[in-house]
Amino acid sequence: MTITAPSPWRALRAVARGYAPRVFQGRGWAVAALVAAPVGLSLGIFALGRLRGLDAHPGEALRVFHEGLVKMMLPIMALVAAPAGIREDLEQRTLPLLLVRPAPVWAYPLGKGLPWFLWGAAWLVLGALGLQVIGGDPALLLGRIAALVAAWWGELALMTLVGLLFKRGTLWGALYFFLWEPLVRIFPPFLQRLTFTHHIESLAGSRAAEVGAHQILAQAQVTTPPLLSLLLLLSFGALCWGLAGWKLQRTPIGLAGHEAEG
Amino acid sequence: MLVLDRASLRYGPILGLSPTSFELPEGGGITGLLGPNGAGKSSLLQLVSGLLPPSGGTVTVFGEAPFRNPSVLARIGLVPEGDRLPAGLCGDRWLGMMGELSGLSGAPLQAALARALDTVGMGDRARLPFVRMSKGMRQRMRLAQALLHEPRLLILDEPFNGLDPEARLGLMDLLRRLAAEGVRVLVSSHILSEIAQLTDRILLLFRGRLLAEGSVLEIRHLLDRHPVELRVAGEPRAVARWAVEQTELAALRLEEESVVLSVRSPRDILPRLQQAAAEGRLPVHALDPLDLNLEAVFQYLTKDHV
Repeated sequence: MTITAPSPWRALRAVARGYAPRVFQGRGWAVAALVAAPVGLSLGIFALGRLRGLDAHPGEALRVFHEGLVKMMLPIMALVAAPAGIREDLEQRTLPLLLVRPAPVWAYPLGKGLPWFLWGAAWLVLGALGLQVIGGDPALLLGRIAALVAAWWGELALMTLVGLLFKRGTLWGALYFFLWEPLVRIFPPFLQRLTFTHHIESLAGSRAAEVGAHQILAQAQVTTPPLLSLLLLLSFGALCWGLAGWKLQRTPIGLAGHEAEG
Repeated sequence: MLVLDRASLRYGPILGLSPTSFELPEGGGITGLLGPNGAGKSSLLQLVSGLLPPSGGTVTVFGEAPFRNPSVLARIGLVPEGDRLPAGLCGDRWLGMMGELSGLSGAPLQAALARALDTVGMGDRARLPFVRMSKGMRQRMRLAQALLHEPRLLILDEPFNGLDPEARLGLMDLLRRLAAEGVRVLVSSHILSEIAQLTDRILLLFRGRLLAEGSVLEIRHLLDRHPVELRVAGEPRAVARWAVEQTELAALRLEEESVVLSVRSPRDILPRLQQAAAEGRLPVHALDPLDLNLEAVFQYLTKDHV
């Protein structure tokens, strides 16, 4: 039999389709719950309020979006989903079965990540739509959806890369999301651009009108045009997927899942 | 087909495989890679299958270096040790993905899937999730993924581990059949009897070094300094008298109706013994080499390195 190596596109499609069922299992539903829980809770409270004759409050949707989804749930989604990507095969020692195929190895991280990206993005879109019910500004809906999906793309890619670079990738990812992003406010203002939060806010609309006294930045706010933020998030994600692929392509990984000195 | 030229492999400061050289010819056949646990078998297989590049020397498979080389990998099938398979997937879907990653698609892919599953006897059970498969079934699925693209070089690392006797025999039959069809099979094991049943061609590894290469007899002949034991049934005293005159005799032991001769260079002494018996000068009824088997060869070869 004459075999020709599959193209990168075919390899991507094969891996994404092959591993797609994983998102419909426990970890996939956990990812879904991270969006569904805060939005669903808000919807429930809103429904109770309506029963008592209360109106929707636009600030509630903003609060759930920025404090719930963006700051808390989105990073946790990436921390939960990324280890089920190519890192999972490394830890289960099933990666050699993929590495001995004549397919482009650099396509594997993205191929395994794509089902998770699509699954998470679908739930984030549903979440953004759900927030409209409790008083989200319709003018900001597209921006919110773009911000959530683009940030999810970037954060999942970053965590996939970190998972290939470090054994304790989840720990480093958690430190980045929950230490660096909040702490950046005490550093020079331009460093805001090195956070997901800044670009999400650029796309989804600033929450400056809603911040409390304890949230006031120690630095001047910097501004990035929304389209540039979108481009940066998408490019950053693509860069991380590419670097993850490059790392896998270059790193000798043996049967034990360890690197050897090649 | 396969050439190792002083190929070595290091895991950081640990030497997994000392500089090793050998060749496997084109065409079908089974070569056994034999050695105790930690001998370097998996290291060697990882070099050959292109999982790891050599730390020193060169590895050439089908004329090219195999590491991340699609044109080589398209002709290699690997069954790694163990029964690990990706969690949460079903056999048929996973196998289809592996086929696509091997460059198959459409009708040829479906035909390859059916053929591979039929070959390993999993045609009716491939839809099961891996978690519901027995160890033997998982091992068969791993073999099926290696056979999908009809590789010319099939590499199996400890494939008999965990298999029941029936499955072992089935796998041995399959490997013999593949070899007869022109596939070069390289199979590792630390169980001597498994390799001995499967093939006469062995590579003997011990503590990261290739100790010997060839058939059991060829290797045995390299061991002139290690005496071979022959049980000669006949008139013990007459045989003993004849034997002590032979320069190859290292030791002898008298038994009730036979003599056990410990001799060097059996290729030299055996014809003389047979001739003497044929001419009636030596009352011999039977001749039984006691240790011309793989177990003995392995013990002799590794004895000096322990």
